[in-house]
Amino acid sequence: MSAKPGEFTVIGRRQPRLDGFEKVSGRAVYTDDIVLPGMLHGRILRSPHPRARIVSIDASRALALPGVKAVISSRDFPDVLFSERQPLFARDTANYIGEEVAAVAAVDAITAEEALHLIDVTWEPLPAATTLREALRNGAPRIHDWAPGNVGPTHEKDYGDPDLGFAESDLVVEDQFRTPMQHNTLTEFHVALADWSKPEKLTVWTPTQSAPMYQQNLAKGLGLTESQVRIVYNNIGGAFTGRGRPKPHHFIAALLSRRTGRPVKIRAAGDEEFIMFRGSGETQYRFRTGVTRDGRIKAIEMDITFDSGGHAEWVMILWLPAAVMNWLYHAKGSRYRGRFILTNSVPKGSHHGGIFGRISAGWMQHMTRVAEAIGMDPAEFHLLNAMDPGDTGLDGTHFASCGLKECIRAVVERSGWKQKYGKLPRYRGIGIGIGAQASGSKGAANDTSAAMVKVDGDGLVTLFTGIPDMGQGSHTVMSMIAAEVLGIEPADVRIVAGDSDVVPFDWGAFSQRGTFMTGNAVKNAAEDARKQLAAVAAQLFGVPESELRFGARRVFPASSPQKALSFAQLVGKTFNSPEGRYVMGRGFFNSPRAFGPLACSFGAQVAEVEVDPATGAVKVLKVTAAHDIGRALNPLGVEGQLDGQVFSGMSQVLYEECKTDDGQVLNPSRLEYKLPRTWELPAVEYILVETIDPYGPFGAKEVGEGPIVVTMAAIASAVANALGVGMVEEIPMTPWRVRAVLDRMPG
Amino acid sequence: MSPKPLLRLTVNGDALELLVSPQQTLLDVIRDQVGLMGTKEGCTTGSCGVCTINNARGEAILSCLTPALEWDGQSITTIEGLERLGDLDAIQKSFVHYHAVQCGFCTPGVIMSAKAVLNRHPRPTDEQINDGMAGVICRCTGHIKVKEAIREAHAFAADPAAKP
Amino acid sequence: MLLPAHDYVKPRTLEEGLGVLSRSGAAVRLLGGGTDVTFNMRNRLMQPAVLLSIRELPELLGVEEWPDGSLRIGAACRLADLAAHQAVNSRHPALAAAFKAVASSHVRNMATLGGNLNLDTRCWYANQTQEWRAAKGGCLKTGVDACHVVASVKTCVAINNADTPPALIALDATITLASAGGRRTLRLADYYRADGVTHTVRRTDEVLTEVIVPPTPDRLVFIKDTARLGIDFAYGTIAARRAADGRTRLVLGSLGPAPVVLRRAAVIATQRGLADTHIEEAAEAAREDLGVVSNLYTPAAYKRDLARELVRRALTALRDMP
Repeated sequence: MSAKPGEFTVIGRRQPRLDGFEKVSGRAVYTDDIVLPGMLHGRILRSPHPRARIVSIDASRALALPGVKAVISSRDFPDVLFSERQPLFARDTANYIGEEVAAVAAVDAITAEEALHLIDVTWEPLPAATTLREALRNGAPRIHDWAPGNVGPTHEKDYGDPDLGFAESDLVVEDQFRTPMQHNTLTEFHVALADWSKPEKLTVWTPTQSAPMYQQNLAKGLGLTESQVRIVYNNIGGAFTGRGRPKPHHFIAALLSRRTGRPVKIRAAGDEEFIMFRGSGETQYRFRTGVTRDGRIKAIEMDITFDSGGHAEWVMILWLPAAVMNWLYHAKGSRYRGRFILTNSVPKGSHHGGIFGRISAGWMQHMTRVAEAIGMDPAEFHLLNAMDPGDTGLDGTHFASCGLKECIRAVVERSGWKQKYGKLPRYRGIGIGIGAQASGSKGAANDTSAAMVKVDGDGLVTLFTGIPDMGQGSHTVMSMIAAEVLGIEPADVRIVAGDSDVVPFDWGAFSQRGTFMTGNAVKNAAEDARKQLAAVAAQLFGVPESELRFGARRVFPASSPQKALSFAQLVGKTFNSPEGRYVMGRGFFNSPRAFGPLACSFGAQVAEVEVDPATGAVKVLKVTAAHDIGRALNPLGVEGQLDGQVFSGMSQVLYEECKTDDGQVLNPSRLEYKLPRTWELPAVEYILVETIDPYGPFGAKEVGEGPIVVTMAAIASAVANALGVGMVEEIPMTPWRVRAVLDRMPG
Repeated sequence: MSPKPLLRLTVNGDALELLVSPQQTLLDVIRDQVGLMGTKEGCTTGSCGVCTINNARGEAILSCLTPALEWDGQSITTIEGLERLGDLDAIQKSFVHYHAVQCGFCTPGVIMSAKAVLNRHPRPTDEQINDGMAGVICRCTGHIKVKEAIREAHAFAADPAAKP
Repeated sequence: MLLPAHDYVKPRTLEEGLGVLSRSGAAVRLLGGGTDVTFNMRNRLMQPAVLLSIRELPELLGVEEWPDGSLRIGAACRLADLAAHQAVNSRHPALAAAFKAVASSHVRNMATLGGNLNLDTRCWYANQTQEWRAAKGGCLKTGVDACHVVASVKTCVAINNADTPPALIALDATITLASAGGRRTLRLADYYRADGVTHTVRRTDEVLTEVIVPPTPDRLVFIKDTARLGIDFAYGTIAARRAADGRTRLVLGSLGPAPVVLRRAAVIATQRGLADTHIEEAAEAAREDLGVVSNLYTPAAYKRDLARELVRRALTALRDMP
């Protein structure tokens, strides 16, 4: 269902991004490109031990080095907390290799680095547990007093009646799955430039997905109020859920600046990127599903054990899956059990696709196995159990629009599923996955987005928005939304963004919310401005406001287009009226519900793969993806999101893995931590399913993170299908893992 | 250490004389001394390509993996050298048009790599594109639209008036 | 990150450079394309007092076709130029393929043949930053008597990941090493030592100046198996050569601290021919021919399987060549 001809002038257009010129010409300024007068360079001294007591820290040799302006450690700031129970600098005990112990600011980077080697720390190594297995072993060292058995926070939740669901099932299938530590591999390395030379004002230039989250955390940790912390975040070199919360280096750059009275920049050096990152940790899953003989899902159960690393930094990860597991299928009940296990390794967060991409790589293989266990085609099985528009998940999430079944039917048809499933030659495989992702994240945060527009006399509009554009193209889409409402062109809308002192509140760009939440706020702000203009135009034309049309940079009564004023003329007349009205629109958006998303995006994908049985290498041949995105506001941008997610999903399932030893990453580089390149790309085919959501701006829902979840499911399932096994119980499905599966197979 | 040696380097047509340390790579000089920030620092191991510039032969070079002094007497082109007075090079136009740019951080290096492909093969085959671009990572686009933009760049070269 | 402090010296002639080496060779690193040396200097794996730039020395440049049909390749020739070179491609397409297999086109535009032949060995532990290594303590490669990969070994088992030696060894290439004292020639096959630390027999006062590839009518195959085409170090490479009379040579790369010449597998292929069953036999023998296999990239057991598969593929390709 596409827009009717003439329904929109801007929405639905393939709009090239409006910051394209700056980015292709090399003009776009990123944080590391900023050099401030008097700027110092900071470096962080890190623990070389997975677990050790700090006996003493002596910085006197470092401080004596010419060019060194400050050395700080927990001795200077014992009370600064990074998270609830976590000091910023290791205080008595360091709990992972890489934990922050001290930091240096110096006049240049090489002096700062030299000074690190002159800080004398006396260590007393302690027994460590660096992996899930070690931390859960009987007699494992207890990493934190507050976590007996190294079990950190847990989350347990039942929805509906899972026991009844299992009781009513004819068959219960159970599977296990594991995902490794994975890194977000942001193109722009972690970097922060902080200026806290005045005590009442801290400015931090840094890439972020959420300025408010950075403000809140930094303010709390450093004893400031939220708006005393200014976050500047103009161009952002990718995020992929890796920039949701501030990292210790943000705090440290600020403290070094406070101590020296000068701006301080800290940039991850080489492998430090694999300490600062806070991607996903090793995770173990148990999936259990109860089903009737005729293929109806009765009960869903998921049990997840997360390696949270040396601290429990980001607890949201723990409880998020509980709700999401209820968004695909009808069932009697569901049960979620999640727990954080503390280990002596880098604290973890999440990877591209949130937590659900990784879950999905196992869960959808499991669902395929459930279908096959009762002799059903997995595509039919998904279709039979899938949500419909108007349905409500067991967790209470209501789906006003839902194109899940349409997506499944579309990929089944376009991929030739019926001709291929079960009929491919040996070592060729086909797999299907489905998924749902929220548009908005109320509950995880207050989830507000706000926007302002000002309208200038020449008809150009300035839009103030806090949504970060880390590549997804939100700024372009926001310009399109404002332009559509005001009847002007996207290029007429200038964006002011990326400075928390200037822009109105916006919770940010994660958990898929920019287009839906900020989009609605921008639409409201533009409508507010239009209303102000319409009041004047209605008088000028002598028609009611409802008769007015805004389009193609003109404003006119519907009945007499020939009387049109140009948009700029109307703005001029408004300003030059006796009241001298200046048009500024304001808007904000939040879900009317107390908790959970107001809409969900749905999708289905089919992947085809080929396995080389001799080497175990997997090649993805084709990915067919159908996604219900409400409405594609900018199809070019939607395709860009799909491209990146198919690529990243393939990467996670087949390539990406932090190999570790004693809590240390063995492959901390872009060479050894593998992402596929040009040669590895599969053919892709996209089907955009437009369900026109009643709450979305112009009917749009999100596409920022949903597709990767489905890609991971489809590719993982296709590999299992190619190998003729029910589950491949671990990603990435590297050549040696695939070989090991083949070696274990009978015959 | 000896006094800093002189580096004579032509950057985007500007002949420069710079006192540099042997410790500096070509990338350090481009960013910290010449002050052109379009060329980015990435992995510094030769595997991400964001530091790519072109040498005088129009080939892709990793500026982070070569000591600056090796470039004495040489001429290089950085991303800033492609555009003239707001008029973008064909490959830049093509990148905007085909949405081969997302976060943009890799874009300068990716475009200089693409430019090197087109310098040798104005109408490149898929294999030539893959070969010329395997040294870069574009995390956002998954290289899909990057490849399209390179394949179709010739249209913008043929019609200089074309606007992205 | 800046490189460690050093002096940069760029001699105008080879003799001038050899003079520097004869005076202070142990403190010198030779700088070709810089792609390996810069990387290792950043990690403080190499901290030379002097970087000696040899990239533009005339004696190290150029490809010549000698009257006897040999190819003389200057060690400072860039891999990109060699991969595209008409004489290399027409005489030894598989050698051209090996040149083209190295890293990425970006790297090949910089890296030299001499640099690839001297590429430092690699492992998970040594090839890290100074700070990273500090957490582990040292290892054989960084001057401490310990190995974090294979606890029992007495010599370093870091992998020789160079892509070009197997094909050149299979072709019986020789190299010239020049020093202020004179020149010596040796077979490339004799250049490597199965020790990740001192992995060649080059003395610190010597420069590898040229590679001579003798003519041959034999068939040659080169295969590189890798995670990703066009960027990675190999999981394993193989060069396989077969004469009209059936004499077969097999050389593996990236599966040990030095290129591995497979003797038993080659004998099987030479003596019994290339029927499927004999290829299987030779391939099986290859697993046994591998020495200590360390863990860079893949598990040791997988590496042995991979060696078998590479031999299987290479022999099949030799047999099926037109």
